[in-house]
Amino acid sequence: MKAVMSRLYLHFRHLQLSVLVCVGLCIPVTHCHANAYAPQVGQLHPDFTLPRLGDGVPVSLSQFRGRKVLLVHFASW
Amino acid sequence: MPAWNSHTRDWVRQGKLVVIGIAQEQHEKRCQLFAQWQQLDWPILYDPLNVMEVAGVPIEIAIDEYGIVRNLRPRKETLAQDFLGKTYSPEGVQGASVLAGKAAQADLQALQGHAKQANKASAWRALGDALVLWEGLPRIDDAIAAYGRAIGSNPKDGDAHFRLGTCYRMRYESSQRRPADFQRAVDHWTRARQIRPNQYIWRRRIEQYGPRLAKPYPFYDWVGTASAAVQARGEQPVALDTLPTDSEMARPVRRFDAETQATPPNPLDGIQSDTQALVLSEVTVVPPRVKPEKTVRVHVSLRPNDKLKAHWNNEAEPLTLWLELPPAWQAQPQRLVASQPNQPESSEARTLEFELRSPASAKGLCRLTAHAWYYVCEDLGGACRFLHQAIPVAVTVGQ
Repeated sequence: MKAVMSRLYLHFRHLQLSVLVCVGLCIPVTHCHANAYAPQVGQLHPDFTLPRLGDGVPVSLSQFRGRKVLLVHFASW
Repeated sequence: MPAWNSHTRDWVRQGKLVVIGIAQEQHEKRCQLFAQWQQLDWPILYDPLNVMEVAGVPIEIAIDEYGIVRNLRPRKETLAQDFLGKTYSPEGVQGASVLAGKAAQADLQALQGHAKQANKASAWRALGDALVLWEGLPRIDDAIAAYGRAIGSNPKDGDAHFRLGTCYRMRYESSQRRPADFQRAVDHWTRARQIRPNQYIWRRRIEQYGPRLAKPYPFYDWVGTASAAVQARGEQPVALDTLPTDSEMARPVRRFDAETQATPPNPLDGIQSDTQALVLSEVTVVPPRVKPEKTVRVHVSLRPNDKLKAHWNNEAEPLTLWLELPPAWQAQPQRLVASQPNQPESSEARTLEFELRSPASAKGLCRLTAHAWYYVCEDLGGACRFLHQAIPVAVTVGQ
């Protein structure tokens, strides 16, 4: 579990770094990828549909309208 | 993830919250095993292509009843008061977009028609996404063609390069594999990373198969622990359809320690060559280009030629690989021996991996030779022979 946590920390550190780099570059020029995933507080989260693990059933974020959602992006590695 | 799972379980049971996981994984079964091990009981969605375009993980996002983002990276300790306990209003919020290429279980014919008509990278990419996500391996060739068209339309489309690379790797791991699929995957992942160096999901995909000096951690060393833990609970662990390779489980190192074995284990001349190609070989170099004095990981895959109904003879000494190194090149290790199953005959692919360090003087395309010796049989019940194969290994060295 310690190893998993340290990986999560590494992911987060790298994410922080990439966000900082992106912010630094995007203010003066718009070199960053225009479509990169960047949800903003106060904005509607873009809808998406992906297969559910195990059975491949399509699941969309919009199916959960009317409920509070916590979206967790993760990886096992 | 496990901490979020236990922290939110009661709220989920009480209907106060829905938790949705999105896994950035190419291998669905590995993700299923991870979820089983960690007892994640939320719906988990599978994103093998990074169609969500996240640049790294983990990311948590709190979204209200109206679909509005209310909190980025919420803290577990304060989620109840910062999010669950609040009342929100949808006023003043603009209409939602749909993330490009993620627009549902799409009508493939419509997507194909649109791609042909518009002939834009985004349209071809959307077709490729739908083919992989909703049709899978049976349509992998069509997906490869669609991403190829996307790159033809925009050679700097990093998403298309990454997803095309993933398709090649998926095909390489299947019975539909074609020669050089793995190297093509690495080449396209590398191109994607050149286009967008800060995309950590893409970077990790290359590091997964690359040299240990460049690894941040072992990627799938948890698989054995997970299976054992699940079994100990009295459950049947999810069976993996693609076992992690050595590089996917290798631990990072801080320095390159050469393991020299200058003498070949068998004579280089005198043992009959595999002129019939009873065993087919394939070499993949990760990364495809390396700076002087840096390391690459070389994957040598050997498999009996199914057209000749060839198979390994497991009752004799195992497949051995030895590297003939040019001056000043170093290997780790220089000699490898494949493990073989506990059955008299088998016909699986065997991949042996080693790492090479190029000297300061190396430049351009450098050619090395890996020598393989093996016992192979021509057909079931047919003659078995001890054969030699000289396998060219090409490493491009440059800045």
